[in-house]
Amino acid sequence: MRTYVEFAKKAIQNNIVYRVNSYAGIINTIVMIFVNIAIWRAIYEEEATLEGLQFRLVITYIVLSFLMQSIFVMDEYLIQYKVRSGSISTDMLRPISFLGYVFSHNIGVMLFRIIIQLTPALLVAIFFVKILPPFSPLIALYFAISVLLGYLVLYSINLVVWLTSFWYFEIFSFITIKDAAVMILSGALLPIWFMPNWLYNLVQITPFGSIYSVPISIYLGQLPETEIYTKILLQIIWIIVFQVIGRLLWHCAQKRIVVQGG
Amino acid sequence: MSYIEVNNLVKDYKINVKKRGILGSMQSLLIPEYKMIRAVDDISFSIKKGEMVGFIGPNGAGKSTTVKMLTGILMPTSGNIITGGLSPHSDRKKNAARIGAVFGQRTQLWWDLPAEDTFDLLRYVYKMPEKKFKANMETFNELLGLNEFISKPVRQLSLGQRMRADIAASLIHDPEIVFFDEPTIGLDVVAKQKVRDFVRHMNKEKNITMLFTTHDMGDIEKTCDRMLIIDKGKIIYDGTPDDIKKKYAKYRTLIIDFVEKQSGIEIPGVEVCEDKGNKVQFRFIKDEVSAQELISSLTKKYEISDFTLQEADIENVIREIYEGGIKCDENLCGVC
Ligand SMILES: Nc1ncnc2c1ncn2[C@@H]1O[C@H](COP(=O)(O)OP(=O)(O)O)[C@@H](O)[C@H]1O
Ligand SMILES: [Mg+2]
Repeated sequence: MRTYVEFAKKAIQNNIVYRVNSYAGIINTIVMIFVNIAIWRAIYEEEATLEGLQFRLVITYIVLSFLMQSIFVMDEYLIQYKVRSGSISTDMLRPISFLGYVFSHNIGVMLFRIIIQLTPALLVAIFFVKILPPFSPLIALYFAISVLLGYLVLYSINLVVWLTSFWYFEIFSFITIKDAAVMILSGALLPIWFMPNWLYNLVQITPFGSIYSVPISIYLGQLPETEIYTKILLQIIWIIVFQVIGRLLWHCAQKRIVVQGG
Repeated sequence: MSYIEVNNLVKDYKINVKKRGILGSMQSLLIPEYKMIRAVDDISFSIKKGEMVGFIGPNGAGKSTTVKMLTGILMPTSGNIITGGLSPHSDRKKNAARIGAVFGQRTQLWWDLPAEDTFDLLRYVYKMPEKKFKANMETFNELLGLNEFISKPVRQLSLGQRMRADIAASLIHDPEIVFFDEPTIGLDVVAKQKVRDFVRHMNKEKNITMLFTTHDMGDIEKTCDRMLIIDKGKIIYDGTPDDIKKKYAKYRTLIIDFVEKQSGIEIPGVEVCEDKGNKVQFRFIKDEVSAQELISSLTKKYEISDFTLQEADIENVIREIYEGGIKCDENLCGVC
């Protein structure tokens, strides 16, 4: 366990080496929040309900979504890089679990983002945008749990995509497709209640809805308590499903590792 | 009792055959064509505990592939490997705790962080008690001079410094077996010597079993008691460096610079192996022909401006084996 904590620390340290990237990231998040608010403001001004609850719900949804997106950032090309450069051999030489290492590395990346990005962006969100507070303290707790699970759902889906590096030389296109699916189907860009019915139903049956829309809906108090439990259970199920697939892929991958170069 | 046991080990790589031209590329894209190449071809050997074995062969002979299988990185196509009772690939994690490896062409250190950070991390990876870790670090400092550069980012280190750090990293957890894959590649003479001395020292001091891969014969002569020669995936020699020298270094070469161009010189028992007009190389068996007599008989007949007498050194012997000039002898290597 201690070993994996150290891996996470190293990932944070490695990120600090490339600080400039993260400053760009903060600015990006804040700009995206304001751009989106401006768009929604324009839409609602037409309907003259700017002061209404509807508008604040939408704004809160958008801000939460961007805040979550800003910390749900993972090292998408870590595995591909390791396979291609052959540095996977160094990991195989260690008495550690490779998947455990990849996970701790990404947790490190997330912790780094929380420190350097979430804090400033959150301050902006609270003081300048005035988002709605969580529905109740209990809801806040459910929200926290659901965010964590949402992260794990996204991580597990990503892991499956990343592991295809052992079969395909270039996984850029898989990642792009996955990103597009996440963007559209997770409710990251558009509050799900604005979606046409067919899309809304699709979101409900894909794993993507479990990433962003479930925690945010919980925060906004849009789900009755029993439904909160089923949604959280669903998140857990998706995590298990993709973890099992990931583990199977890794099991096969180990047999076909070839190390490029020296 | 053998500690590393390798039986009928084979590794095939599947490679994509690319066709030339646009049509060819299209064809490869639609119907990929594969070819298998056999990098390691049915090799068997065993290594005793504490033994230091040199593994030598030309580029592409299959050395690295063998080491990668021995360390559990690659899965063998067929055959089996037992290192200290474990199978390196299927018991990878357990096995990894007891072995160390250095790949000369690749660093195991964190590229962007100071070398000391990697060592700190390795302490946790191998779950080492702090005291043991500190003691080992101190030893390495003394022998390898790590302190000079340990706090610099790895990417700023010279190749020699990086290699020293890498070697220390492979030994930090007191492994029972260490594999070196071309640890001296690209190093200058002084750095090479440092590495050799250190490796030798660790082998003697801690009785660590070592396999030392190289294509530099100097490495083997100075460090190993036993050597394996591999070529085209097959082991063609297994024995001591001395034996191969005794057996094959029975020739001497005499290089004569004649004042005038000569041709058709014939001396019984002496073979002209290179004739460049003024400069002629003679090869002869040193027990049968005396060099002194040969030189004096030549100076009687011809005008000579200079000469050099070469003893066949082991490097030349190896080169000849690579080039196919010497057929390996059944009795000597027993595996050909
Ligand atoms: N990842 C790989 N894919 C395909 N062929 C490989 C790969 N690695 C090595 N080979 C081939 O296997 C043979 C042995 O290579 P290697 O073990 O690296 O030799 P050495 O270390 O003795 O130079 C070579 O012909 C090389 O081209
Ligand atoms: Mg090699």
